[in-house]
Amino acid sequence: MATPRTVRTQTVSTPTVKDQLASPPALWDPVVRLSHWGIAVSVLLNALVTEGGSLAHVLIGWMVMAMLLLRLVWGVLGPREARFSAFPPNPVRAVAHLRGLFSGDKPRDYPSHNPAGALMVYMFWLALAAVVATGLVMTGGATPMQVAADKAAVASGDWAALVRDGDSDQDSVMGDVAEEVHEVAANLLLILAALHVAGVFVEGRLLRRNLLAPMLFGAKGDRRK
Amino acid sequence: MTVLRRPPTDPKSAARHQTAALSAFLLIQTFGTVFFVGDVIGDLREDPTSIHFIFEATVTVALVLGIFFGAYALRRTIEFLRSQEAALDVARGALSDVIERQFQAWALTPAERDVAFLALKGLDVAEIAEMRGAAAGTVRAQLTRIYAKAGVSGRAQFAAFFVEDLLGQGVTAAT
Repeated sequence: MATPRTVRTQTVSTPTVKDQLASPPALWDPVVRLSHWGIAVSVLLNALVTEGGSLAHVLIGWMVMAMLLLRLVWGVLGPREARFSAFPPNPVRAVAHLRGLFSGDKPRDYPSHNPAGALMVYMFWLALAAVVATGLVMTGGATPMQVAADKAAVASGDWAALVRDGDSDQDSVMGDVAEEVHEVAANLLLILAALHVAGVFVEGRLLRRNLLAPMLFGAKGDRRK
Repeated sequence: MTVLRRPPTDPKSAARHQTAALSAFLLIQTFGTVFFVGDVIGDLREDPTSIHFIFEATVTVALVLGIFFGAYALRRTIEFLRSQEAALDVARGALSDVIERQFQAWALTPAERDVAFLALKGLDVAEIAEMRGAAAGTVRAQLTRIYAKAGVSGRAQFAAFFVEDLLGQGVTAAT
């Protein structure tokens, strides 16, 4: 007779500190998750929806700058897995990780991002910094409040608001370069995002692990009872 | 089996909500601060000696410091919650270890262990029988054997055996 064994007769395995260090987090901390999804949505909005130079575009750009800065502060002050020291950029190990992934044997766990993911993160941050910096150059460092004020002034017919002191040839050359870099870096961001999504999908399939859940609300089944 | 359903007091999710709220607040604070820093830099280009600039710059520096302190405090909170969670896991595992060892010492059979666990969880004979797909009479007989092996008079004493371990002190007569 089959007896349904609903009672757990095994003792609960207690996670030691070492185990926790070796395995990726079951749930990323809220700052990581907020900045991750905030930046993702903002980049998509600014790349695909808002018009370049519009108030919404500049506003979202400033919010991305804020989220990037907060994430960088968090890389020093945050909990262990969010800190830079937990995922140093190392191309050699990134390649080794990818090779191990496709050669079939299960690569070891990392306390934070795996080396390939870590490299992706730093690439993201560099591209984001480039987009934000060139965006600031293009707008002359005007805050969204100033942009709104300027637009309101122009709308009311006061074109003088557009004239800023120090408009010279050198500035316009710098502006052209900035515009070029802005677009290239923005496209690079979209390519990186596509690669990132593909990487999460492939690694999730190969390791049979849900990598999305820790970035959302954590695994549903991980609650020990 | 309503006995197994516990009231929805999940300290884990409460802690999650708390840190999430603190993080959202930190994020909003950062938005505000970045806009202020931009404004101050704009003012710096115009007139760095004005009272307006000095005042705003001071406020902005305070805001920036606030973010650093806020982030540090949030980190401490997250680490504190994690250490509490780990301690709770250890305690749970320890109690489960104690029960397991005691069952072994009493030489309970695997079937008796299952029944004993369910009895400890507060299920009555009918519920245990239903869960194990056995007759109520069988379960009653198993419980009797368990109580005999443990040397206790009945269910209340059986449960109390482990509660006493948790309390960490013997029963002392009131003076």
